[in-house]
Order: sequence, then C-alpha cells, then structure tokens
Amino acid sequence: MKNFFTVSLTSFVFSSALWIIWSFFVVQIEGNPNWLGSVFYLPHAARILCIVYFGWKAIPALFLAELWGPNFSLLDIDSLINVIPGLLSVLSVPLALQTLHLFGFPLGNTSGSPLNKRNYKHIALITMISAIYNSLMVNLMLTRFSMSSSEIGIDQVVRFFVGDMLGTTIVLMFLVISLRPLLNSKKVN
Amino acid sequence: MTNFYENIKDALSMLNGLEKDLNIRHFTPNELKVFYTIIIQSASSESGSNITEIVDNSGMSRSTVYKTLKKLTNAGIIGLTQSPDDGRESLVTLNSIS
Repeated sequence: MKNFFTVSLTSFVFSSALWIIWSFFVVQIEGNPNWLGSVFYLPHAARILCIVYFGWKAIPALFLAELWGPNFSLLDIDSLINVIPGLLSVLSVPLALQTLHLFGFPLGNTSGSPLNKRNYKHIALITMISAIYNSLMVNLMLTRFSMSSSEIGIDQVVRFFVGDMLGTTIVLMFLVISLRPLLNSKKVN
Repeated sequence: MTNFYENIKDALSMLNGLEKDLNIRHFTPNELKVFYTIIIQSASSESGSNITEIVDNSGMSRSTVYKTLKKLTNAGIIGLTQSPDDGRESLVTLNSIS
C-alpha cells in the first residue's frame, strides 16, 4: 500500500510537471499555428516512463493527471465521454507492452530480457508503438463522437505520433543532461 | 519502498546508457555549455559558427572556449574551417555522425 502511494504520488507529480512545462511553451507560441504544441507533446514521456518502470500501479495517478492537466482543474469535466481520450492515451502504453509481450518480448530488467527496461533503444520501441496506438485510438474516438471542433485528417494522426515521439525524446534528453552528476556516480553504473 | 528504488535504479540505468552513447561523459559542465552553444548556433548558420559569437553566447572565457574547441576537434566532433569573408577568422562546423 505504501509502495502504491509512493508510485502514485511520483507519477502524478511527474506527469503534472510535464503538463505545466508543456502548457508554458504552448502559451509562449500563442497557439500560432494552433497545432504546434502537439508536435512536441511532453506528457507522453510521463506515461511511458511511469508505466514501464512502475507498472500498472502508475495508471490511476497518470489518468488523474490527464484529467487535471489540460485545464489545471478537475471541475471542468462536464461529461463522462470527455475523460475517455485521456484514458485511451494512458492505456496506449500498457497496450504497447502487451503487444510486444504477445510477440514474445516480455518486459524485464536484465540484459537477457527480450525487452529490457534498462535499454533506451527498447524504451524508444515502446514509445513508438504506444504513439501509434495513442494517435489512432484518440483520433478515432474524437471522430466517432465528434469531439473535435476542427476536421480530423491523417495529418493530425501523424502529428500526434510525431509529437509523442519528439516529446518523449526531449524529456529523456533533459533528464540525461540534468541528472548527469547522479548518472556518473558509481551507484548507477 | 525497496521495490520503488529498484524501479528508479532501472530508469537511471536506462538514462546512463543513453548518456554513454551520446558520448558526452568526458566533458565538464563548462565544456558542455560551449558544445551546446555550438549546436544551437549551427541550427541558424549552415556555413559554420563564428568563434567570437560562441564566446559571447556561451558566457565562457575565450581560453575555455579555445580549449574546448581543441578537445572537440581532437574527438572529431567539430571541424574548423577558414572563413571565406575574413581570412583570420575560423568557422566551427559540426561533423556529421556516421
């Protein structure tokens, strides 16, 4: 129970921090063009890192951050249908892991594991598959229930995919640079 | 809690591998600052970056910049070419990764 609470708190704080940083940059570019923010979608990194390293326990906190993140308020949710895209986005990562598991690549943390969570190239593969799922599922949902004010085309699906990949890369690069002293310590190596 | 720290250790191990492959480990923070300045300037200038501008934009002393440029050149990360406009000026270009 204590571990679940720690994982939830860490996941929520990390995801919320990425939402705040991403929103700051979106405000800076003043929505011109209005899709530019989705080309570097930082919050996807929180979904990837928290679910890969903490497992299913991170899902509720990430989902809560998805609901809170867009408007920084939970009170703006007027319909249950509006929470489904956020849920699908979070579930895109376990779905990617499950897909890889089905193809004989279960997640592990040793060099012998077919899918090693200590290898950044494997994290990149998980990111790519989850970005495909996320871009397809969310845009299908938005189209099916006419939840988008603008017309959804293949360009938006591609943009979601590129945005999730690029956003995760930016966060990983930032973490590598900012955590250099820790990474160079003997405890990690 | 041990499980939580094990998970964090796995994540740090992944970032450690990424840092190793980026080949930036043997640079000091000041040298990295100069390197990042070169990368940022290279985005706006294809012909190469002016050393004076690198000194100004990195905020580092001229000697630190020159030492770093020598280290980066020896590592094959950057190249120095003579400026076509001013024969006394060298331009810094990023070498492509192959």
